Amino acid sequence: MAQSLAKEFTKGLWAEIPPFRLVLGLCPTLAVTKSVENGIGMGLATTFVLVFSNLLISLLRNVIPPKVRIACYIVIIATFVTIVELVMQAYTYPLFLTLGIFIPLIVVNCIVLGRAEAFASKNTPVLAVADGLGIGIGFTLSLASLGAVREIIGAGTITIWGGNPVFAVGDWYHPFSFMVEAPGAFVALGLMLAGMNLIGKK
Amino acid sequence: MREMISMIVVLTLLASVSGGLLAAVKSGTELRIEEQVLKFQKAPAIESLFSDVTNDPLKERFTLDTGDRTLQIFPGKMKDGSRAVAFETSGKGGYGGDIGLMVGINVDSDQLVGARVTTHAETPGLGSRAKDDLTFVSQFNSRPLDANLALKADNGSIDAISGATVTSRAVTRAAIQAQELYSQLKPEILKQIQ
Amino acid sequence: MNNTKLTVSHAPFWHDGDNLFKKNLNFMLALLPAAIFGILQFGAPALGVMALSLSCAMLWELVINLVSKKPATIGDLEAAVIGLLFGMMLPAITPWWLIVVGTFVAVFVGKMIFGGIGSSPFNPTLLGMAVLMMSWKMFFDFDTAYVDYEFAFTALAPLAAVKTQGAAAADLFTLGDLFMGREVGAVGATFGLGLIIGGIYLILRGYARWELSVSFIAGILITAFLFHAASPQNYAGPLFHLLSGYTLLGAFFLITESASSPVNRIPMLLYGFLGGVVIILMRNIGAYADGTILAILLVNVVSPLLDNIRPNALGRGMNNA
Repeated sequence: MAQSLAKEFTKGLWAEIPPFRLVLGLCPTLAVTKSVENGIGMGLATTFVLVFSNLLISLLRNVIPPKVRIACYIVIIATFVTIVELVMQAYTYPLFLTLGIFIPLIVVNCIVLGRAEAFASKNTPVLAVADGLGIGIGFTLSLASLGAVREIIGAGTITIWGGNPVFAVGDWYHPFSFMVEAPGAFVALGLMLAGMNLIGKK
Repeated sequence: MREMISMIVVLTLLASVSGGLLAAVKSGTELRIEEQVLKFQKAPAIESLFSDVTNDPLKERFTLDTGDRTLQIFPGKMKDGSRAVAFETSGKGGYGGDIGLMVGINVDSDQLVGARVTTHAETPGLGSRAKDDLTFVSQFNSRPLDANLALKADNGSIDAISGATVTSRAVTRAAIQAQELYSQLKPEILKQIQ
Repeated sequence: MNNTKLTVSHAPFWHDGDNLFKKNLNFMLALLPAAIFGILQFGAPALGVMALSLSCAMLWELVINLVSKKPATIGDLEAAVIGLLFGMMLPAITPWWLIVVGTFVAVFVGKMIFGGIGSSPFNPTLLGMAVLMMSWKMFFDFDTAYVDYEFAFTALAPLAAVKTQGAAAADLFTLGDLFMGREVGAVGATFGLGLIIGGIYLILRGYARWELSVSFIAGILITAFLFHAASPQNYAGPLFHLLSGYTLLGAFFLITESASSPVNRIPMLLYGFLGGVVIILMRNIGAYADGTILAILLVNVVSPLLDNIRPNALGRGMNNA
């Protein structure tokens, strides 16, 4: 039991790390990773939704009639997304403004629905939570690392939390602002995917 | 038939539990969200408009009913003793949706104190200059209330931001709306601020 | 589709002795008149920019070859052409790091990532330029770039002047001046005569297709003429557009890039014409002073679509059961 628990948790960190391995959830991945802070905020919001929707769906997996299961999942997921949205609005308002429309869009993020359908509806609550936590942390890490690459090259800073950079390259650096524009997101993601495949192949 | 009933029951239960939960969270966070919106969106615009008032416009805010919506009004006492109010209007048809504009009006002289863009989703570097670069909105400073605040291209008196005519037009729409609202609400405003 | 075998003709086939090395050498030869003129006009910095750009592009390709453990391909001079073209599109005072980054984007993202020579969906040179322009717009302002220079002619970038001051500014430049390179601009893009001579040489040798250049120029002339005829006080004339900015460099050396352009005659004509139309639209209506780079990148995307217009295969198809 403990072994499979660890397995379900760690698979989300490398073997099935969402944007890089499963190539899922690309909409927020490309859109919000202008800075590390945005990546972490989006990742944590998604993790919260993942863990709780996985838990609830797993608990209710014998109650939900198979024919309306997707509708039920969406109701559950949308509830948690709205909670996240309200809480972010109340406590981290500047971050809420930068993430904007992408918070409500977590509802249709294929990672969340994918985990609900493929994992939580067939496994026990403990396993489902471990799975949600693993995938969520993997998603957060990917977004943060993509955000780090784009922010350091595109703006010359690293912002972890609160809007103030913890590290700045300096005035001599002319920011390569292509990287924080939309096309830079595609190029950066493509290069990181290639890098992951290069490491994974060995 | 049994399956049918279970489908209906489960979905109804889920939806009502979710609705109840959301209502609870919503009412729990409502006050705080209002404060945050005030603090991060309206407060900077009001502070920049009423840079030399002797009171706290945010604390003394009150609401008025305009028929189709309630308007938050922020009163300010200017240093020279005259009274002013600020309120937010929204201009339709910006490049990325509506544009919020905080307009300050001096109640005693019936002149505009000025205007500041609060919320927008315009193109960074083009339309966003309406908020970041004050040269455009400073054209509203000290205009009499009956001035034509449309763009010069629309036979008005305001220069558009070069390369961002659509944004500029939406801002002027908000300003014109503020003129109309003010002339409609003036008696009530006077009653409130004494 | 793959189950049909097509009979072309009987072996033996005959190779005419041409190769990539010769093609690219001729390409650079054709660029020389304009490049040399740029050095004469803008001095040693221009030589520095082009030399650094050329060597950087080749070096990056070598590095990528080594890292990916593939045989070195710089011998075919493709990277040298990318580098030279890239340098010729920059102002003479471009800082060195800009060239290093730009050639890396051009060679790595533009060419090597897609599988090297012949596989790039975009013109690598233009991809590099577009990325640089998005990031460091201030270094591509030709008016401020040459602020320390003394010229015997109007020291204003023609297209930027027309963009900011209206079509009347076009009268500041005589067509003869523009044609003979007496204008401010990128080091290798000002000398109209040299570019045309080089272009015609390439076309005569068969290294560039005339369909692309001719239709491209026709697209520019016709669209610019229509705009000019509709309102002469707002839009500059067709010949002004043809002789200013990157237009001639684009017409003979950029739009003719073989990997990113279509292969048959009618698609080629459409492709070039579309490119010309888009450039004038960008200049007259869009936000950019010179739309050449983005316009050609845009038609690069259309190229696979145009390739669908092709003749039916002659001869009998045989099912390869």
